[in-house]
Amino acid sequence: MSASALTETTSLVGSFTDEAFAAHLASLGAAPAWWLDRKRAAFEKFASLPMPRRTDEHWRFSSIGALTLDGFALHSSVVSTEFAPAAAAPATASLSLVNNEVATQVAPSAELLSRGVIVTTLADAALKHPELLKAHFMAQPQKLGSEKFAALHTAFVGDGAFIYVPRGVELTAPVVVVHAAAGPDTAVFPHTLVVAEENSKVTVIDYFLSADAGAHFACGANDLYAAHGAQLTYIAAQNWSRDTLSFQFNSTIVRRDARVQSLNLHLGARQARHESMSQLQAPGAFSEMLALTVAEGAQEFDQRTLQVHQAPNTKSDLLYKNALRDKARTIFSGLIIVDPDAQKTDAYQTNRNLMLSDEAEANSLPGLEIQANDVRCSHGATSSRIDPEQEFYLQTRGIAKSAADELLTFGFFEEVLSKLESTTLHDGLHDLIKAKFKK
Amino acid sequence: MSQLEIKNLRIAIGEKEIVKGFSLTIRSGEVHAIMGPNGTGKSTLAKAVAGHPDYTITGGDVLVDGVSILAQEADERARAGIFLAFQYPSEIPGVSIANFLRAALQARLAEGEELDATAYYKRLYSKMDLLKIDRKFTSRSVNDGFSGGEKKRCEILQMAMLEPKFALMDETDLGLDIDALRIVADGVNTMRGPNLGVLMITHYQRLLDYIVPDYVHVMWDGRIVKSGDKSLALELEAKGYDWVKKELVTA
Amino acid sequence: MKPPTELEAAPAPDTATENPVIGIDQSSGNFSYKVDHYAFDAGTGLSEDTVRYISSVKKEAPWILEFRLNALKKFLSMPMPTHWATKDLENIDFSKIRYYLSQGQKPKRTWDEVPDDIKKTFERLGIPEQERKFLAGVEAQFDSEAAYSNIKDIVAKQGVIFVNSTEGLREHPEIFKKFFGKVIPTGDNKFSALNSAVFSGGSFIYVPPGVKVAQPLQAYFRINAENFGQFERTLIIADEGAEVVYMEGCTAPKFSTSTLHSAVVELVALKGAKIQYITVQNWANNVFNLVTKRGVAHEEAEIKWIDCNIGSRLTMKYPGVVLKGRKARGEVISIALANDGQHQDTGAKMIHAADETTSNIVAKSISVGQGRSTYRGIVHIPKHLKGCKNNTECDALLISTNSRTDTYPAITVRGDANSVQHEASVSKVSAEQIFYMQQRGLSEGQAMSLSVNGFINDLARQFPMEYSVELKRLIDLEMEGSVG
Repeated sequence: MSASALTETTSLVGSFTDEAFAAHLASLGAAPAWWLDRKRAAFEKFASLPMPRRTDEHWRFSSIGALTLDGFALHSSVVSTEFAPAAAAPATASLSLVNNEVATQVAPSAELLSRGVIVTTLADAALKHPELLKAHFMAQPQKLGSEKFAALHTAFVGDGAFIYVPRGVELTAPVVVVHAAAGPDTAVFPHTLVVAEENSKVTVIDYFLSADAGAHFACGANDLYAAHGAQLTYIAAQNWSRDTLSFQFNSTIVRRDARVQSLNLHLGARQARHESMSQLQAPGAFSEMLALTVAEGAQEFDQRTLQVHQAPNTKSDLLYKNALRDKARTIFSGLIIVDPDAQKTDAYQTNRNLMLSDEAEANSLPGLEIQANDVRCSHGATSSRIDPEQEFYLQTRGIAKSAADELLTFGFFEEVLSKLESTTLHDGLHDLIKAKFKK
Repeated sequence: MSQLEIKNLRIAIGEKEIVKGFSLTIRSGEVHAIMGPNGTGKSTLAKAVAGHPDYTITGGDVLVDGVSILAQEADERARAGIFLAFQYPSEIPGVSIANFLRAALQARLAEGEELDATAYYKRLYSKMDLLKIDRKFTSRSVNDGFSGGEKKRCEILQMAMLEPKFALMDETDLGLDIDALRIVADGVNTMRGPNLGVLMITHYQRLLDYIVPDYVHVMWDGRIVKSGDKSLALELEAKGYDWVKKELVTA
Repeated sequence: MKPPTELEAAPAPDTATENPVIGIDQSSGNFSYKVDHYAFDAGTGLSEDTVRYISSVKKEAPWILEFRLNALKKFLSMPMPTHWATKDLENIDFSKIRYYLSQGQKPKRTWDEVPDDIKKTFERLGIPEQERKFLAGVEAQFDSEAAYSNIKDIVAKQGVIFVNSTEGLREHPEIFKKFFGKVIPTGDNKFSALNSAVFSGGSFIYVPPGVKVAQPLQAYFRINAENFGQFERTLIIADEGAEVVYMEGCTAPKFSTSTLHSAVVELVALKGAKIQYITVQNWANNVFNLVTKRGVAHEEAEIKWIDCNIGSRLTMKYPGVVLKGRKARGEVISIALANDGQHQDTGAKMIHAADETTSNIVAKSISVGQGRSTYRGIVHIPKHLKGCKNNTECDALLISTNSRTDTYPAITVRGDANSVQHEASVSKVSAEQIFYMQQRGLSEGQAMSLSVNGFINDLARQFPMEYSVELKRLIDLEMEGSVG
């Protein structure tokens, strides 16, 4: 093998070599054979796919030069730090994972267990609920550019959260999951899988955070499935260390008359790529896709979304808001696809960028592909600074300019936060944002 | 006892001079009304005194109790006691009235001092009751989706909460039906007293039936051309602005 | 609800035999030319020899030949842009295209001097008497060379130069060489490279400082030979404070195999100048229309593209403005109509490069049957600019159940002193509206036509009168048979 060929191979897999993968498999212990087979196939796919290229439309405007896979390590030793969820709300159940392994676990009440509610680890689910896992774990195609990284996720995913809510069961308190990375150069592969069966109701909160300021690599995914009439709320609060390279993939399936609301709060990481796909598969399905980003320093937030209307009478509504400070960059690339027979679709997509500095850069690529005529679809994108008239109005009430700007910035976020049903959640996320602003 | 002195003030937007040597002194306890046709510089005057950055002061001075406020930012002027009730109040989505007024009151306290939340809400609710504003409005965003009348009442509510020394009321009657006008006027009249000076800007005499002024001034082409008591307003109503114009020509 | 006056204003439906394609009487047969009448023919296929042949026929200066050969290299080395554009581009067979064809006459000045066979073609195109008179005053391009020009004498009195590209480069190199290929570099895209290699025809216009050209300058382009691509090259320079309107319209006979049209249009508006460029494109449904159009607007200058695409199999065209000087303004008004077998891939590019520049894009598309219309846009506001504004509106109307529309804008904004707003919507013709009109006695097709015309009415009004009437007629025709 020539030197250049070697370089080529190394850059394709970085730290995630054959040896690293073999070591990972060896660490899995009791995992079933089908699970290991799936991981092997994923690893092969990961290793063979090229890194993103500049000419790839899915990576337009992304800083692909900074997407290095080198210098990361899988730490198997669990750091037994306790991570308190930022919103100290009462939870139905909770689970915290540090460096891909379970650290703490609070099970649902005996009553809920008896009704069939499952909140467990992915490893446990692989043994006890293989059919559910086979049907829902990373089962959807990656259409937004990160096939390679999604395969990497499947290959290296250690443990994660598995949440199953049976038919008709409504959980009043959220299920809280904390995914943490600790130690230098740690690679983590968080996964949360939620299956909400017919007419069930559940809220799941994923917190992503770093135990230290290490340069982490996070490659996470969540699979959300809302069956007939189910109501699923999913919140992801991403607050990795500022030196983290983060990938996060979402797949949401919405069945007949089901409603999924997802809100992604992006605060941490040096470069964070988020891909989110909602498939509206049967009449009455509704997916509300929300995101808030506070970008500062030299952070880059790269958000790619897809709303696929596969059946008539479905609805999706996307609202992504970014506030940009310093030299931060954001990319929003969204696409609404209305399939030929998906008449009576309502699909909306809005991206608003609040420019708070002279050096920030916002890129918007709001897209539509519509193949049915009886639809209501629109998209909008704006990038602008704080409205000077609003600023003046606040100043005439005696509020100093800096305080006025902060009020207006939170006003900008409020449009998204106010869509949350739970005030506890609303306030918790608000405080997380505030903490970043105060830094 | 305070006084707001506007001395020979000249105001321009870009290259164009709008206010051309306007002088008026308002003392606490007085209510002045400025009337005049559209485009004569009334709103420009109010916004410029409040410190809007788009307006350039090209001459003259504005003083509160002998101290010039022209070098001050809009918020400093506000804390010095100037309140502007806007002709077209801004809509501020996402910022609730309660949070907004709280921030405004907090800004008036010394550093480290915290607003007493209980007392604040008590006061806020009583003022809202007075202005017949539903208490639910506290959680609504400032002016966002408000009707014209709701916006004007919200302005008066802010005035009542912030207790300025001088209120500049820009076409507060605009877009109000009789019932709303009465509520707003009652609110202002309750605040009238030895601690408040008012400058009302209006196009029509109607408002002056409800808030009776001590002085009436006619503004024309950027300055005051005629002053008198409340009877001047009635005379204007009867004879129209052409009458002033003719008088100007003869003079 | 539509006021009754608008209903009364509805044109009587044209019957198919009278008016199958705008203003053209097809009953007099096929009006394609026989190639053997041409004095110069570069043959089919593209090679260095083709390029040398074109250049020698045109007796060009060596630098132009060098420019062409360099462009040819670029064209051959560049890949088809199918990583973002439609795969239909792969169906172009460059070896079957005829890159140059000329009858070899010198441009004529008066109607009398126009060769009889060309006059006959005008007649066969069914151009009304009035319009023929109107045509007599235009720079009409027949195939690769200008057939005659007349208006140029009129505007010459104002010092305006209005010539074809060959003449422009030969007679006025001191004016045109400076800007030629500068707004759109040869390698801007594969098709601008192709045009740069084989261009012929097109207009070169220079308007001296302060001159406001009263009447719009016009050019009619027509493709008249099978497999014969046209590669016009247009360069318009409006000197300081000058104003000019240019109109380009085209109709093309139907051919059985694909043909290629790939123009390059460059506009330069110097300080305070205004250029308006109006296009009505109605190529036959077998034409690939791959056009690059861009202007540079200097300080306080204004460039406005009004672009209407109705014909062709595939159009790819995104008129752009580089806002290079402070307070420059750019505007693109775009109308696209895609019927069965058509793909209108159009849009706009606005590149802000100075403070206080403003740009405005309004794009409306109509997709009928299996037609597909696509909007692509770029708005770019780079670092440290102040007071720049862009406003973009894209509206798509889908007529039939499976009509298709796509929207792919890309917007980049840096800094907090600029503002950008993009909005797009998709709708169909309101059933209520159609019923209302039917109740008043209109057929469904007529009602549909009216609705569609209503949809684009605010944009159509921006076209000169004769164009907007033409547009209305074209839409009526396209809407025929689209319902039921």
